[in-house]
Amino acid sequence: MKRKMHVLASVVALTMALTACGGKTESNTAGTSTPAASASTSTAKDTITALLPPVSPNYQKTFEQIAKDFNAANPNLTLKIEPASWEDMTQKLDTQVNAGSPPDIAFIGSEGISKYVQQGMVLDITDTATKEMVADYDKAPLEYMKNGKGLYGFPAYMEVHALGGNKAYLEKAGIDWKKVQQNGWTFEEFREAIKKGVIKENGQTSTYGFVFATKGVAAKDYLGIMAKNAGMPAPFDKDLKYAYTSKNYLGLLKNLRQLIDDGSMPKELSSVDAGKRWNMFLTGQTMITGKGLATFENSAKANNAKITANDGSAVKGSIPVDYIVLPAPTFQGAKPSSSTVVDGYVTFRGKKEPTAEHKANVVKAAYFLASGKVAATTNNDLFAAHITQSGKKAAESMKIDRSADNVIAVDNMLKNATPARPDIPSDLGAKAIKLETEVIVPKFQGLIAGEITAEAMYEAVKTAAIAAFGDNGIVKD
Amino acid sequence: MANIAGSIKRRRIKGEGAWGYAFIAVALVAFAMFTAYPVVSAFMISLQEYKPLGSTYVGLDNYTNSLKDALFWKAMGNTLLYTVLTVPVNLLLSMAIAILILPLRKKTQSFFKAVYYLPVVASGVALSVVWLWIFDPMEGGIFNQLIRFFGFSNQNWLGSSSTAMFSLVLMSWLSSHGTSIIIYLAGLLGIDDAYYEAAELDGANFFQKIRYIVIPALKPATLFLLVTGVIASFQVFQNAYLMTGGGPNNATTMVGLLIFNNAFTYFEFGKAAAQSLILAVIIAGISVIQFKYAGKDVEY
Repeated sequence: MKRKMHVLASVVALTMALTACGGKTESNTAGTSTPAASASTSTAKDTITALLPPVSPNYQKTFEQIAKDFNAANPNLTLKIEPASWEDMTQKLDTQVNAGSPPDIAFIGSEGISKYVQQGMVLDITDTATKEMVADYDKAPLEYMKNGKGLYGFPAYMEVHALGGNKAYLEKAGIDWKKVQQNGWTFEEFREAIKKGVIKENGQTSTYGFVFATKGVAAKDYLGIMAKNAGMPAPFDKDLKYAYTSKNYLGLLKNLRQLIDDGSMPKELSSVDAGKRWNMFLTGQTMITGKGLATFENSAKANNAKITANDGSAVKGSIPVDYIVLPAPTFQGAKPSSSTVVDGYVTFRGKKEPTAEHKANVVKAAYFLASGKVAATTNNDLFAAHITQSGKKAAESMKIDRSADNVIAVDNMLKNATPARPDIPSDLGAKAIKLETEVIVPKFQGLIAGEITAEAMYEAVKTAAIAAFGDNGIVKD
Repeated sequence: MANIAGSIKRRRIKGEGAWGYAFIAVALVAFAMFTAYPVVSAFMISLQEYKPLGSTYVGLDNYTNSLKDALFWKAMGNTLLYTVLTVPVNLLLSMAIAILILPLRKKTQSFFKAVYYLPVVASGVALSVVWLWIFDPMEGGIFNQLIRFFGFSNQNWLGSSSTAMFSLVLMSWLSSHGTSIIIYLAGLLGIDDAYYEAAELDGANFFQKIRYIVIPALKPATLFLLVTGVIASFQVFQNAYLMTGGGPNNATTMVGLLIFNNAFTYFEFGKAAAQSLILAVIIAGISVIQFKYAGKDVEY
């Protein structure tokens, strides 16, 4: 018994020792700060790691060539790329970040930066990115990679969240889609248009006017995109007061519910996920879908080619579709403010302080990936607009089969792109995300499922906002 | 001579003891590294506002905040409801299926065992995709086709608060009985035929044999499946994550999903660790109660 107790004691001691070791490391590294680093021309050998998802259909096939080209331009540097699926990307990165050993570069959405800033694990490259690098970028997308005063990487593209229409159906419903592409449309115009798109057969709706993916967290995209066009381009106004307590928000909620009550959108909308809404679009079950990205035109064309080939590879039951890019409607007289997605190469640091040389090398690699030939090839593959001068130049010689009308429509929307808000402090941003996840999304799911009223949701959001930001921290109008 | 023999015996015991401890040490080290250390570590994290570059000690704040959080209690209520609705029914269904399979010929019995066990080895994600198709809210969904046949209108199975929890429960009722069936079959095969013969001589019918022979004889298996079933049910995550994401209106937010969200959506590892440990204490308490009341007359 005595001996057994010894063994047990040893195990407990070992466990405690291991635990204590972990705690010591954490406390030792607490409070470290990044010293100013300057651009380096060191020729010492270095390896830069990058965790990259399939950004475009052909992106991951080019990794070997990208690494080779980077090495040719920087003989002392090795770019080690770890591929990841979109599904794995966040979890893989989060695990590595929380273990204190993230990759040097990861491809993520700019909205994710604030969460890593809070963790202290992103690498501020403001002092390392050269003037030439910064000057290569369009200003608006670069701003999205900022948080506070820090710059945390380089953007790859700026895409607009549009709606997508079936050209034949739009014309059948008498909708002047070219006019909408140029001038946009109000909620009232949009509501009437999608009513005309509804087709009924034997009392059942065979084609809806509009279907947006709202299942699960996708609900926040629908609401977020529309809220921008309802006078609330960000969760906080310029005075950093929480914006979704504005009366416009209540009006917006009522409007979105109306579209379901009209029968223009399916009453089962809360169960429609991204895959289903695209399938519904390709099979003619809806005239307009959202959210749409420019690359959807490419996907629709690819399916049309499969239908023509008649080899069984096309989406089952699909019909040929000409994809028309359309803007989201504006609500209550608000100015259009297009929702954009800016993804890019975010730079990370580990628990150990990076040297100035390594930091400079990471910046070189991030810029290499986000500009010039690499960016041009990827963005053309995505039908995404180029956001660097070097990318635009490299793309000049590349051919792309894209509708000229859609290019103009996207350009029009980008003129009204919602500006970045690096001024929103990360703790306020984190509270807003939590409120969105725990209150807005669940209540909105209830609203579109017809279980709660717009008023009830608005009151729930207001109550939660006061609890989170205080009575003086919210918009009152 | 006796002294020499005694000395050899003592040395042998010593040697055997050392080998015994050596063998146990492997398991103990594995246990310490992969079970004890994470639990101790989780406890330490639960007392901190965790950050990779330096955590802050916050004492019991994560526990008190969790216990004050309405969403935590809603998730706990959902998990309890899910457990109450699924575990007993699943035990009954598994026992009934095992009893129905038992008299079949060996090959047919093996076929049914394989069929029922298949979902256990299949990918949960793949199964969820199939279930999403079954629950499709539009006309094409299997359940909607079925209820339309009986004159009911389409249901928004996973998208409505009134049906989302029931849909997950239904999914549990109609799948994943493989392990329970195999355990019940093993228990049924262990019942001596003499009991049935004696019952037949006494004129017992089928249901009386089930009531007075099968159910008491299967009590150890039932207790095991009840305890493990409740533990698994309290930790349910995958179904809610993949099928509903916790919605609509948090109607299917289970504690497991809430812990995952706190850890990986909000990076609140301290709160997530605290909630994990609260859940562990609740599960342990329920297990003790189960052993105390359901296991007192169980013989192993």
